[in-house]
Amino acid sequence: MSLLLVPLLPLAAAGAVLLLRSHPRAGAVVAVGGLALTALAGVWAAVTGPALTFAWSPAFDLVLRVDGFGRVMVVLVPFVAAPIVAYAARSEPQDRTRLLVLMLGFAAAMLVLVMAADFVTLLVAWELVGAASWALIGHGWRDRGNVEAATQSFITTRLGDLGLYVAAGATFAATGSFAFDGLPGAAGPWPQIVAAGILVAAAAKSAQVPFSPWLFAAMAGPTPVSALLHSATLVAAGAYLLIRLSPSLAAVAWFLPAVAIVGMATALAGGVVALVQRHAKRVLAASTSAQYGLMFVAVGAGSTAAAGAQLVTHAVFKSLLFLGAGIAIHATGTATLGERRLGRALPLVAVASGVGVLALAGVPPLGGAWSKEAILAAAVGASPVLGAGVLAAGLLTALYAGRYQLLAFGRGEGQRGLRRPTAAEIGAVGLLALATALLSGLWLPGAPALAEGLTGGSLAEGAPWELLAALAVVIGGAIVVVALDRRGRLMTLGRAAPTDGLVGEWLGLDALAGALVVRPVLRFSALLARLDDRVIDAGVRATARIAAFVSALVTRRVEISVDAVVHAGGSMAILTADLSRRSDDQVVDAAVEGSGRAVGIAGHQSRRLQTGLSHHYFVIVGAGLVAIAGLLAVYR
Amino acid sequence: MLTAAIFIPIAAALVLAILPRTGRGAPAERQLRLAAVVASAVPLALIVATWFRFTGTGGFELVESVDWIPTLGIAYRVGVDGLSLPLAAMTAILFVVSIAYPVDFRGRAIPYLALMLFLEGVSIGLFLALDLFLFFVFWDVSLVAMYFLIGAWGHGDAQRSALKFFIYTFAGSLPLLLAILGIYLATEPRTFDIAEIIRQQPLAAGGLYAILVFWGFFIGFAIKTPIVPVHTWLPPAHVDAPGPASAILAGVLLKMGTYGFVRILMAMLPGLWAEYALPIGIIGAVSIVYGALVALAQTNLKRLIAYTSVNHMGYVMLGLAAAGAAVTGQEAAQAIALTGATVEMVAHGLITGALFLISGSILARGGTYEIDAYGGLLGRVRSLTGLTALMAFASLGLPGLAGFVAEVQIFAGTLAIYPALAVIALLGIVLTAGLFLRMLGRVFLGALPERWRAFPDLTRTESMALGALGVFVVLIGVIPGWLLGVIDSFAGPFVGRP
Repeated sequence: MSLLLVPLLPLAAAGAVLLLRSHPRAGAVVAVGGLALTALAGVWAAVTGPALTFAWSPAFDLVLRVDGFGRVMVVLVPFVAAPIVAYAARSEPQDRTRLLVLMLGFAAAMLVLVMAADFVTLLVAWELVGAASWALIGHGWRDRGNVEAATQSFITTRLGDLGLYVAAGATFAATGSFAFDGLPGAAGPWPQIVAAGILVAAAAKSAQVPFSPWLFAAMAGPTPVSALLHSATLVAAGAYLLIRLSPSLAAVAWFLPAVAIVGMATALAGGVVALVQRHAKRVLAASTSAQYGLMFVAVGAGSTAAAGAQLVTHAVFKSLLFLGAGIAIHATGTATLGERRLGRALPLVAVASGVGVLALAGVPPLGGAWSKEAILAAAVGASPVLGAGVLAAGLLTALYAGRYQLLAFGRGEGQRGLRRPTAAEIGAVGLLALATALLSGLWLPGAPALAEGLTGGSLAEGAPWELLAALAVVIGGAIVVVALDRRGRLMTLGRAAPTDGLVGEWLGLDALAGALVVRPVLRFSALLARLDDRVIDAGVRATARIAAFVSALVTRRVEISVDAVVHAGGSMAILTADLSRRSDDQVVDAAVEGSGRAVGIAGHQSRRLQTGLSHHYFVIVGAGLVAIAGLLAVYR
Repeated sequence: MLTAAIFIPIAAALVLAILPRTGRGAPAERQLRLAAVVASAVPLALIVATWFRFTGTGGFELVESVDWIPTLGIAYRVGVDGLSLPLAAMTAILFVVSIAYPVDFRGRAIPYLALMLFLEGVSIGLFLALDLFLFFVFWDVSLVAMYFLIGAWGHGDAQRSALKFFIYTFAGSLPLLLAILGIYLATEPRTFDIAEIIRQQPLAAGGLYAILVFWGFFIGFAIKTPIVPVHTWLPPAHVDAPGPASAILAGVLLKMGTYGFVRILMAMLPGLWAEYALPIGIIGAVSIVYGALVALAQTNLKRLIAYTSVNHMGYVMLGLAAAGAAVTGQEAAQAIALTGATVEMVAHGLITGALFLISGSILARGGTYEIDAYGGLLGRVRSLTGLTALMAFASLGLPGLAGFVAEVQIFAGTLAIYPALAVIALLGIVLTAGLFLRMLGRVFLGALPERWRAFPDLTRTESMALGALGVFVVLIGVIPGWLLGVIDSFAGPFVGRP
């Protein structure tokens, strides 16, 4: 059994869905079944740890290998994708086949990404994941706005991808190979360059500051697409890369602190943005940035195990939350929080979403709480400031998570005229809620060793006061949320006016990028285009006019010189004859005209062109011959 | 066999030229085209056969030579190595597709097809030539054929564009000719034999004479490639040329410049190339960013694609600069830079050739190249959208397609030699991603304007022709080993990789 089976299974399912496009139900079953099989194959791969080498070029191979944290991802990706695809098959009637095929292809690319053992394989998968997400975000392509949002997402993440190109090149320069294995042995300045490239690539893909706003643009995609991008795929790629490669970059002193700073900044800023946003999906999107920020903090604090645990718990509860939000948006037709509270109308969905929110906020005994504690312990161990930051981020999380749940699924009135969720949608949400609950198993005694073993990292020893502090933060946040809600000011966070201005729009980062990067580049490009037409080409045109003038002056002399050269000697004569072979066309043409028959190469029209040209042609040939004669005179 | 690949299409062109054009017995355009396609496929078959006979053990293989003017050391010599074989193969593929591609003959099918066939033989001949004199003959004759194709079958201000193309590139031929004679005069015994000149290294000592020869070659090849700032002949020539001629111009004729850089300049004057490698790399990086930025501002589909050619030829130049730089210990990186640059030549030929054919089809249906005139075509024309998207993504360097295979190697190889230039050049792939996605969005996505309700999809011939190019683009992208192996047999020894 080959390792290629893992990415090929979803691709085969995609092919089958395409063939079954007139049978949507069968197509959905095949898509979900294919992912379930992929998950089984993933389990097999995780257990046996196979490798596959593909001779891509004589200079280097592409290597797929399932090891380290990849063993977790190879199961997690299809496991999370399956319920999301089941949901999508029922909830998105528009271009359903296209959507399912793209989602399956997207999952396949992500599976290659987590199995990559060298930079070129990684880059291949990395960029394919990005391109697939472009198509998925732009799924509603009839609306130009969606297309532009998709392009913005792709361009931003591709800007980060450049870091990966740099890391790949630097690794090759240092080790003569693209393999990850050689990285720890790299010498000279190269590891620094690799580290910088990886940091940029990971930060862009995981929507960290300052790249974060692309995740808002990505909301243009259908809800299941968001659920997939935010959980175990696109956004996860950045954190996965850090978990995978940060141990190999131990020699670069600034790397881990830089990762921690980026993550901390994003965790806090993202928390604030999520807190003030009023758009349900955007709250979750800002939360994604913030939660990945915490994974960056964990990596920066030296605990890839904590980051890995957070990635897994987040993947499950965030896809759950997105699907829940999707049902709510479908039911009410609005994504604005607080307009309708659906707790009574959609009790099952509300409960499921509640489980996800508790995990997000870090309420024990859910798995999300365990991974948060692990991150806190690592951060405190690395630096008190970092520890305080994680606690502050925890408070923000509790606040925005509570606010989100109450505004979206609080106890409102029972409502009529809502679109009822289908069984598949409820099933998908239920399964993810169950998985979220089951991850409580992380609190069991054997879990830390398992997490360390699966990530290859280590967990920091947590002190009891840390657990208490984290609990106090969550409880405090919950109290504030409930108190605000009682006063009816949860939506505005206690203020009179709506809260989401510049802060809600990712602190104006998007506008800033537009003003500082996008618009100047477009203006500059327009300027260059005008310059290209007017200035550079004008120089050419002026030269042409001068040349025409000069050629008119010297034509007679050139002819005399040609004569002189022809008479100069035997060998020269032969040379000239052969050079003028190129003007055969003209000779033939003249002969043709002389005999009056019209068999020129391209008929009457083209012969007229040719006649107009022969003057220039001969002048240039003549000038060339003069120069040759000069050279000969010097060197003979 | 190689000789047959060069002269069978030329012979076919001559046969076509003497066919009766009017009256009874005049062949129909369909039959003429079919005959031309068959004739153009012969070199392809021969080159495929050559591919299987090629051993890649170093040096030129399957050499065929006949004395021509022995007193001057001029001979008809042709042969292949890991550099010329892929380019000749790409040329043959692109010509078959371009000749098969529907075009408005303007009632002159015979001269059009004859010129295309003639140009095919000449182009293949240029890549296979192992004699500088022969190389130059093919070089100049190709300009003449292209001039007529643009001038007589173009649209808009075709004659002016054709003349500009001809004069500009012909002005590049002059320094090239002088440089060829210059290096010829330095050989002892005198010879135009490319392999022998490379072995002799007649100008290894340097000096002003060698520098003049170097820049003669450089200017000649630079105009043809073209690199900034000598690229302004390119956009008007493309915009006014018929689709297939444009495809050949971008796909094949530009490669003559880049091929010349490697085959002649880097091989015959490696010391000077190494000395000037950094400025050449800077020119390459400037071409990359400049070409991409100017392309970004274009509203005309064909001009946009034309400027991406400037961008892509910049990648080639950057890779060549890194490959020829005077550094030791990074031969592995230099080898992949050179391999990448060579793959870029092939990939760009296939991809940009396809994009120009597509723009011809769009013009034939919509009557304009203006991007904003279109929109929403995805809902109407699936094949056209799919194939355009495939080629656009290939051009912006998406993995799994040919462009990536070239670019990842160029970037990785260059980074080891000129890290700063590589990083600047990388910006090019973000800009090209932006401009192609914008183009796709404006032409194919969004709402379908009322006037395009009846926009016809590609015909079967068009789909098959573009599909054939697509097959190679995907094949190179997914399993590039068969191509990279051949190129590596040249690139490894060329950079002195141990």
